[in-house]
Order: sequence, then structure tokens, then C-alpha cells
Amino acid sequence: MKKTILLASIFLFSLTGFAQEAEDLVGVWEPGHGKAKVKIDKIDDKFYGKIVWLKEPNDPDTGEPKVDKNNPDKSMRDVPLRGYRILKDFEYKGKGVWEEGTIYDPEKGETYDCIITMKDENTLDIRGYIGVKTFGRSDTWRRLKMKKK
Amino acid sequence: MKQTYLTYFLSAFLFIGFFTLQAQEDEEEDWDMYDDFELEDDTPVKRYAAPTVSGMSPQRFISVSFDAQMPYNYEFSEVRFPQSNGTGFDVDESNPGVRESGTADFTGGLRINTNIPIISKSSFVWQSGINFMDTRYSISPDADFGENRFTLPNGNEARGLGQILNEDGLRNINWTNTFFFPMNETEFIVFQGQVDMSGNYALDSFQPLNTLRYSAAAVYGRRVSDYFRWGIGVSRTYRVGNMNYVPVIMYDWTSKNRKWGTEILFPARAYVRYNFNKNSLLLAGFDLEGQSYHIDEYSINGNSYEIRRGEVRPKIEFQTKLTGYVWASIQAGYRWDWSYDADELDGSNDFFRGFFGNQEFGMINSLENPFYFNVGLNFVSP
Repeated sequence: MKKTILLASIFLFSLTGFAQEAEDLVGVWEPGHGKAKVKIDKIDDKFYGKIVWLKEPNDPDTGEPKVDKNNPDKSMRDVPLRGYRILKDFEYKGKGVWEEGTIYDPEKGETYDCIITMKDENTLDIRGYIGVKTFGRSDTWRRLKMKKK
Repeated sequence: MKQTYLTYFLSAFLFIGFFTLQAQEDEEEDWDMYDDFELEDDTPVKRYAAPTVSGMSPQRFISVSFDAQMPYNYEFSEVRFPQSNGTGFDVDESNPGVRESGTADFTGGLRINTNIPIISKSSFVWQSGINFMDTRYSISPDADFGENRFTLPNGNEARGLGQILNEDGLRNINWTNTFFFPMNETEFIVFQGQVDMSGNYALDSFQPLNTLRYSAAAVYGRRVSDYFRWGIGVSRTYRVGNMNYVPVIMYDWTSKNRKWGTEILFPARAYVRYNFNKNSLLLAGFDLEGQSYHIDEYSINGNSYEIRRGEVRPKIEFQTKLTGYVWASIQAGYRWDWSYDADELDGSNDFFRGFFGNQEFGMINSLENPFYFNVGLNFVSP
């Protein structure tokens, strides 16, 4: 009986640890180009990231807030980029890796398969790729925090 | 009945899930608060120049194309052996006696290019690729010259060059590695190294490894903005047929409305670009193509006999997205003969003649300049 309780406890602890690790992804991050900030949230068991800040929020051609003008779906081209969900459907696979998700590049209007790897607690390696990971491009994102006032 | 309950249960579950997701999405967001976010780890972050600029034609990971030249006439000189016999054609001799002439009814073949990212990080990119170019000839020799077999200095019988091209064709396989080193957000250095095996070999019997030819280029560049970068450098190249050292100029620019641009890596290529939209574009400009092709039959006494094929190709190229990351390309242009002369290389070691050297040629050949076409399918980069 004691052995069963011990095994069950170890199992529960490892599950809790796994879930805690998974949530390390939640937060506000800055992509390598520094032109945006992306907030990653957990919704149900998956992770999603949306643009929450743009260095240049308005389109220089129109003076209006930037919209997703390169989206292949014409009905989406008026959707504001701020608030736009560019990371979708990531699942935690353990060892600091989130997979099964996609990343959207608003500059090209393209969606890529994506894998996120946590390099350290404040750094992410984001790799967008086509089909196999070889055909892709990586970027480094850094964690942001609220300034102390 | 059980099935009905199950259906209700699943519907309710999905509805609640959907409602929860929507509710989370619709939360009022105070966007201004994100102005006050700063780096958690404020170690100065190093940013790097991206390896491209906006609006450029998509980079090709894998490309398969077919190239075809329209019929043209050729004239080949006698085959001489400056190393084996000590007699060749003077470097300024432009119109030697014609030993062979005829029409190349077809010149062309399959081209397969790969350029695979091995390492692709913002701080360093290494791409590597194997490329294959098959050039087949269908030759109709002029009757005046009859059969062009002749005796080599070592006493062996050899076929005329027209017959060799007709029966064997020319092949090139190369391995190219490109390294992109951004130093900061603006400056970058590109190194490219290439090793080529070119000749009339068959795919089941390669030629000696001492006929491998090496090219390299180094460019220092500045990515001034998302729309413009320039660079200067030097290269050791076979694009004019002979081995040569030439300066390199990079000039990639895109207009602010992303319609117009240039893609220049002179002297290898230079294009003006017009983007119809983000899925199709037109390039107008030229390519410079060339290799030094080992002709096995003429390579005697340990020397390598090589056709120095160099051609300028003014062209128009249309590229369009077919689906996903598969693009089609169609080129039409003019194949202008820069060089089809030949050298006998002492011990297979190449030499530098450049534009001013006076080493004698083994053959001096001329080709008329036909139109050419190229159609291809490309698997392109994200």
C-alpha cells in the first residue's frame, strides 16, 4: 500500500512539474527584429501568442493602424495587426519544447509550421519551417517584464 | 438513447470550450500597458542584419528546370596541344582556320539545383547544395568537313569535338556552400565556396579528381534598411570559362511600394525586378554562366584538356507561385557566346590568364548566338 502511495505521489509530482514547465512559455516576448511584442497565453491545454505592441503601430502609407494587408484571405485584410494571433495551437512536449503549432508572418502573409524551444528562462528559439525542420528559419525571442514604477 | 445523450454532451462540451476561448479572446486589452514592458534580462541584445531585403524574389531551396537553346551554327578550330606539342593558337588569334563546322540543332538539358539550410540562425546562416547541369547536343556537321577523327600527339585516334558533344554532351556537378555572417544590425559578410566537376564524363564513370575546379567569393555588405543593401567583394570564378579573379558588386533594392527593385550580384547576375503582387514577379537582366569542361579524350600526357565555356544570357524571367511554396519560373533570352575556346592544362593545374595574359589556346572556337528558353519548378524558402 505504501509503495502504491509513493508511486502515485511521484506520478502526481511529475505531472505538476510538467504542467509548471509548460507554463514557462506564458508571458510577453520580443522577437529578434524588435519591432513587436507578443503575448503568449495558455488557453485550455494549448498556447497562443498575439501581437500586443508594434514599434510602428500606424501604416506610413495610410496613417491608420496597421492591418493584416498581406493575408491571403481577403476577408482578413482589414483586421488590425495589434491583437492579431500569430502563434497558434502549441502543445508542450517536455524538455522545454512546444510543438504542433504554427506561426504567421504578417509581412509575407504566410503561415509556417513552428517549433519553440526554451533556451533559458528568458530566451526562446522560434523556428518556422515548411514540412521538415531543415527548410526553415530561426529567430531568438526574449522575455519582457513590466517596468518597475 | 445513449447515443443522443452522448451527442448532447459532446455538443455542450464543445460549446463551452468555444465560449471559453471566445471569452478569453474578447477580454478588454489595455494595449498601452505594453509600452512599459522591458527586457527581463537587460544584457544588451545583439541584433543582426537579415540575409535578404523585402520584396526580393524567393530564395530557392530546390529547383528543377529544363534549358533549351534554339539551333545555331558553330565553327571549331584544329585541336592543338600547347603543353604536349608546344604549339597552340596565339591569344589574339581570333579567326584561325576552321577544322569543323555545322549546326547545333539542340543544346540544353536538365538542371537540378539545391540550396539547403544546414544552420539557419539570426547570427549565422550556412547553406549547402549539390547542383547538376546536363548539356546535351544534337549536332549536324557540315558535309564539307566529313568525319573529323584525327591523331593525337601520343598516336591515339580521337573524335572531333562536334562528335564528342553529340555523343557525350557536357556535364557539371558542383557542391556550393554559402556562409552568411551578420556582424551587427547593418554589416554582414558573405563567403561562398564551390567545387565543380565539369566535363564530358558519364554519370557512371567520373573523371579524375585533379580536374576538380574551385571557386570562391567574399563580399562585405551593409543592409541599410529593410529595402536596400549593398556590398563589395572579390571572387575567383569560372563564369567566363577561364579561371579569373574579378570584383563583386551586390546591390539589392526595393522601392517603398514594393513594386520595383534590383537584384544585382555583378558579374554573376544583374536584374531589374517588377513585382506584380507578392505571388508573381518579373526579372529583366542577365546571367553570366560558365565552366571549364574537361574533355577526357584529348587529355593526354597527364594534362587536362578543357573547353572554357562562358556565356552571357540577357533574359526576361517570370516567376509565379503555383501553390504553397512551389513556384514556377519561365525564362526567355539570348545566349551570347563569351568563350568556347580550349586550353591544355599542364598536369591538370589551372593557370590565370585573366584578360591580359598571353598563354596560347588549344582551340579557338566560335558559336552563333541563339535564343534560349528555360522552364522550372522551385521549392522556395519561407
